[in-house]
Amino acid sequence: MTSTTHRHLTAAVLRCFTVGVLTTLSLVAQAQSAGIAPEAKQLLKASTDFLASQQRFTADTRNTLEIVLKSGQKIEFNSTGRQSIQRPNKLRSERTGDLVEQVFVYDGKSLTLANPKDKVYAQVAAPGTLEDMLDFARTKLDVVAPAGDLVYKNAYDILMDGVTEGIVVGKAVIEGVLCDHLAFRAPQTDWQIWIEQGAQPLPRKIVITTLDLPNAPQFSVTVTKWNLQPTLDAKTFTFTPAAGMKQIEFVQH
Amino acid sequence: MARTGHSRAFVVTIALPLLYLAGVSPDAPASLTLVQEARAVVGAPLTPVSVAGVARRTTRRVVVAESSATQASASTSATAQQQAATAQQQSATAQQQSATAQQQSATAQQQQAAASRPPGAPAIGTVVSALPAGCKPETRNGVEYQNCGGVLYRAAFQGNNLVYVVQ
Repeated sequence: MTSTTHRHLTAAVLRCFTVGVLTTLSLVAQAQSAGIAPEAKQLLKASTDFLASQQRFTADTRNTLEIVLKSGQKIEFNSTGRQSIQRPNKLRSERTGDLVEQVFVYDGKSLTLANPKDKVYAQVAAPGTLEDMLDFARTKLDVVAPAGDLVYKNAYDILMDGVTEGIVVGKAVIEGVLCDHLAFRAPQTDWQIWIEQGAQPLPRKIVITTLDLPNAPQFSVTVTKWNLQPTLDAKTFTFTPAAGMKQIEFVQH
Repeated sequence: MARTGHSRAFVVTIALPLLYLAGVSPDAPASLTLVQEARAVVGAPLTPVSVAGVARRTTRRVVVAESSATQASASTSATAQQQAATAQQQSATAQQQSATAQQQSATAQQQQAAASRPPGAPAIGTVVSALPAGCKPETRNGVEYQNCGGVLYRAAFQGNNLVYVVQ
């Protein structure tokens, strides 16, 4: 190949790439001025409805959390997790990372939060459904299940609450899975979600950008593995303290 | 009671919901320092980990606004005002009684504590996210405490975070 041909080819590739990017950007710009795109709503609703219809599932996740220091510098912390859910009233969530090793177990009657490395756990009576339990944990205990929004049967309403803009950014590949990439804006938060294309519109990734904190830190969850037919038994949702673990209290409001 | 400079650096604001950084492990001192600094910076929720978490803060503000509006409309009725005043008086009396009882109890606690607490110990009820060095577990009435140079700390979960409350 002559160097001239090579240059021509490179230029052609660059032109195609540039045109592609510009087209995408102009599409994005058009969509942004148009409130919430109906396609974005439809894709999100299909995903949340699909997940709400799943009676039992597990999701392995990879999470990143940004912290803003006094200097403005952002530091990212990583963790991995496994969530096991059985509707209407069972949940187990385990997380391990550079800052956290925590187990959260809900058996339909009580919820337990345990830090195995610190050998402590706390347990309180909890409401009888997943949704009420998550509300209770968040409002009374300040205990949050990361990305727990998606577990709610009315996840669509929770996510779309206050949303003013929504677009379909385009197609993307997350963990090797072809997805639709959606982006939404609300007064205090921008968030993005990647939803698997095809018969199982599962959320594959979610990014939350907090706008009302300095330097807009982000939290992201990527699902590395979904299992819609998991082997779950009573043991999954029963907390048995390991030898030497001490029970402590929650600081309640 | 005066806190030592050392413990002040570790004080965590109670009003921090949504702290996701639980179980700060003792073998991660750099991370620990960073996280504590981050907590001190924002003085507000750290990076929310759920959209509902963000929405909740909005809801709180809205609820506050609504309840003041209700109070304003109620005050237009003289009867309602009188009833409210009577109820408030009763409530105030009850509060006073309760406050007196609390004071007595607090005084008793202080007297008791003062007898055994070392000088410069952090105030009772201070919440810290890490224990000072050289603590030893100590069980009193079936409850496990950490005795750190004569100051007792009791472990608790504040949200997702393991904290220690000065006794």
